[in-house]
Amino acid sequence: MSKSYRGELRFPATSWLMLLAFLLLILLVGVPLVMVLLHSLFPDSVFDMLAPFKVLSNPGLFSYFWNSIVLGAWVVLGSTLLALPMAFLSARTTIGRHAWLDVVLIIPFMTPPYIGSMGWILFMQRRGFAEQLFPAAAKLTPHFFSLFGMVAIMSLHLFPFLYLILRNALQRIGGSLEEAGSVHGGGVFYMLRRVVFPLLLGSYAMGALLIFVKTIAEFGTPATFGRQIGFYVLTSEIHRYTSNWPIDFGTATSLASVLLGACLVFWYIQNIISRRYQYNTLGGKGMRTRILPLRGWRAVLGWGYTIGLLLLSIAIPYFSIIATSLQKLRGDGLAWHNVTLAHYGELLRPGSKGWQALMNSLGLAGIAATVAVLIGLFLVLQMGSMKRWTERGLDMLSLLPNTVPGIVIVVGLILFWNAPWMPLPIYNTYSMVVLTYVVFYLPYSVQYIKASASQIDGSLLQAGKVFGGKPLYIFRRIALPLLVPGVLAGWMMTFTISARELVASLMVLPPSMQVTATYIFSQFEQGEVSLGMAMAVVSVGFTTLVLVIMNHLGADRK
Amino acid sequence: MKTVNHTPMKFVSWQWTLAVLLLLSSLLTACGGANNSNSNIGNQNGSNAAAGEATPAANNGNSSQEQTPTAPSGKVVVYTAGPEGLAAKIKEGFEAKYGITVEQFDGTTGKVLGRLEAEKSNPVADIVILASWPSAMAMKQEGWTQGYPEAANVDKLQPDWVDSDYHLFGYSASALGITYNTKLVSEPPTDWSDLTDPKWAGAVNIPDPSLSGSALDFISGYLNDKGEEEWSFFSQLKENGVAMSGANKEALDPVITGAKSIVMAGVDYMAYSAKAKGEPVDIVYPASGTVINPRAAMIMKTSPNLDNARLFIDYLLSDEAQALVTGAYLLPGRADIKADNRTNTEDIKLLDYDWNWMSEQGEAISAKFLELFK
Repeated sequence: MSKSYRGELRFPATSWLMLLAFLLLILLVGVPLVMVLLHSLFPDSVFDMLAPFKVLSNPGLFSYFWNSIVLGAWVVLGSTLLALPMAFLSARTTIGRHAWLDVVLIIPFMTPPYIGSMGWILFMQRRGFAEQLFPAAAKLTPHFFSLFGMVAIMSLHLFPFLYLILRNALQRIGGSLEEAGSVHGGGVFYMLRRVVFPLLLGSYAMGALLIFVKTIAEFGTPATFGRQIGFYVLTSEIHRYTSNWPIDFGTATSLASVLLGACLVFWYIQNIISRRYQYNTLGGKGMRTRILPLRGWRAVLGWGYTIGLLLLSIAIPYFSIIATSLQKLRGDGLAWHNVTLAHYGELLRPGSKGWQALMNSLGLAGIAATVAVLIGLFLVLQMGSMKRWTERGLDMLSLLPNTVPGIVIVVGLILFWNAPWMPLPIYNTYSMVVLTYVVFYLPYSVQYIKASASQIDGSLLQAGKVFGGKPLYIFRRIALPLLVPGVLAGWMMTFTISARELVASLMVLPPSMQVTATYIFSQFEQGEVSLGMAMAVVSVGFTTLVLVIMNHLGADRK
Repeated sequence: MKTVNHTPMKFVSWQWTLAVLLLLSSLLTACGGANNSNSNIGNQNGSNAAAGEATPAANNGNSSQEQTPTAPSGKVVVYTAGPEGLAAKIKEGFEAKYGITVEQFDGTTGKVLGRLEAEKSNPVADIVILASWPSAMAMKQEGWTQGYPEAANVDKLQPDWVDSDYHLFGYSASALGITYNTKLVSEPPTDWSDLTDPKWAGAVNIPDPSLSGSALDFISGYLNDKGEEEWSFFSQLKENGVAMSGANKEALDPVITGAKSIVMAGVDYMAYSAKAKGEPVDIVYPASGTVINPRAAMIMKTSPNLDNARLFIDYLLSDEAQALVTGAYLLPGRADIKADNRTNTEDIKLLDYDWNWMSEQGEAISAKFLELFK
């Protein structure tokens, strides 16, 4: 992506701003992560290079690490099984003409995993919705509460990533390469083996490792479903050691270092693989993809698969969530006389706890999104043409939070901002939450704004200069208007995700405050599940609405 | 939006990053004060504005650490281990009566303790309310709390529901029982030992003692009464498929929906309130006896708003708050007040246990139980 950068977009090009950008990122992202590493290397204030590894020699703690790895591997397999047929159907058959499918298939990924898992639990548990709808399901449902169920839930959440990557790769391969294969006498399987698979491998490796890293960094599903089946992983245990008595920050940071190390190693492997298996599939010639018309049993199979996938990944979790949010008595199950809107009434009554949580979420997310795009804009301007190592370094550092598991960042931020020598009393205030969201989602802002910036041709700015514009004027009248779509997209994305964020909210919210995610979580733990699920519907519904509206406005702009 | 999510980071100069990360550690001390203030001014201003909108109390939020310990202000910070509904009512009542804002953290006993420990270097809590008496005793032992012998109505508390130095005030209590789903269970078990019967295989939940202080009290109280060899009882429970399942509500909810049949050692007030709502549950107190755990309210030694904290304790023991307690189906802390919507303290048979022993053993028992059931 850096190659396509031609614009000389850097305002004003003084180096102290560059320095400031670096210091900002180091303070926001760098220092907290270093704090985690340092803390784990200094158990009992004595330096011990091997301390994080010693943690792994404890069989109990090692099992968390091993569980994480095993879970990651299974989820990669699960998402592959789900995504590959769908990618094929969408790239190579007439099913791909239905553009709405791409939008709908993003929904599972946009559903916060803790909400999706709760939906599955409510559906599959004994005398849950599955058994109420199909009494025969009682034989199957107990088997769901196992590693298999956890893998299924997480795969159904993460497969859209892999689907998008594989579909794009398949589309790029194009028919001509395959035709070349058959012209030279290759059979179907030979061609798959020697043409399609090698070409797919680079993209697949990238997607698979991404899924893997996302899985081991995931908190929501282990914290809900994992705890029910007694499957404990690194993230859930880090949370336990940092927020539950007896507290053990030493162990928590060691586990966090291990998790951080594992993620970085896998990112590195991914990077090597995707560089080694990169092929130029985009030639100067026009591209034709062979689209398979679906008829007869093939159509039944293709559509059957598509609909089945949508049922599993969207319909079932959302059915449980909505049904639960409408239940008058949880003990009376699914029945028309048991339907009530009272939970929504309670939530939307101004002044109620739910209402306050909702307002807190929206307020915090709004501020976090605004701060994040401002910082993002500033950083992108410093990145300029991305030619110098400082500029690339800035880019990399700003994307780091996307690579590192959220829970590791939170632990680092707590260690840093709650340190006894910290002069700024941010910890335990609203600022801390905003700060955490900003650090978490800065990469989104940077990415979107960078994408906008890369489209601005240097000649536009030169034209400005030729006509005597001062730097600030050029920035205000030429660059900024062109960057606005990126800024808006970044804002919207940060807002939506911050408003649903769970792990940071659980760990850094000041005592008297709740946001939607912690509200839902605590209703599941302590209060009324129906209220929690009603909040899930409201929160997901509202943020999706914001997304749709902003998208619409963005479309008008262009 | 798709591209951002999965655009791979370009690790063009990956080794370089590592080098920078290592360098950072040396910079760590160098870039302490000055830059902090530069880079975060934006954040702070922004969120102060938000704080103003959210709650009036938030104005104090940012400056809480700077206050001198005894300076009175318009707030009191309460960390309470549920029950959420009651805690909210007490907060409202106190605010209405004294015009002092209550900043409240609702958690479980484990989470409250965790939060206190994490904030040890910057304590903000004035009042801590735990659902486990032994845990509260341990806190007193470690010097976290301070006494308040002048508390109003303290003489009317149940005997033993206040300690001799007036650090711990048992303003309310719950008893632990066997809660069951009335649709699924026609003959409820009558004693703890019944639950090892294969009839209940896989149908019983027990709350996680590291989250639920009351469950921990039951386990340690039971061991105290029967002798430590009775760990075999818990092994048998484990073999019979008893599942450890989160805090009290998490353990009870599957019983309400019928996913499980029974919660053992669940707090009784949740069963009473679910029953009153019309859910198909009921509760029995085991024949061999159970544990009643007073919920201890304590004033923190570091309390930044001490006067308000004392008022809060007075309020908890007042007629008004005690009525709220019975309204939430809990046992009132004062002996002169009776609940008419549930079994009263004197009608519940108790196991023979000693709080001191339980307080000493609590951590070890919790760890051993977790090891057994995890």
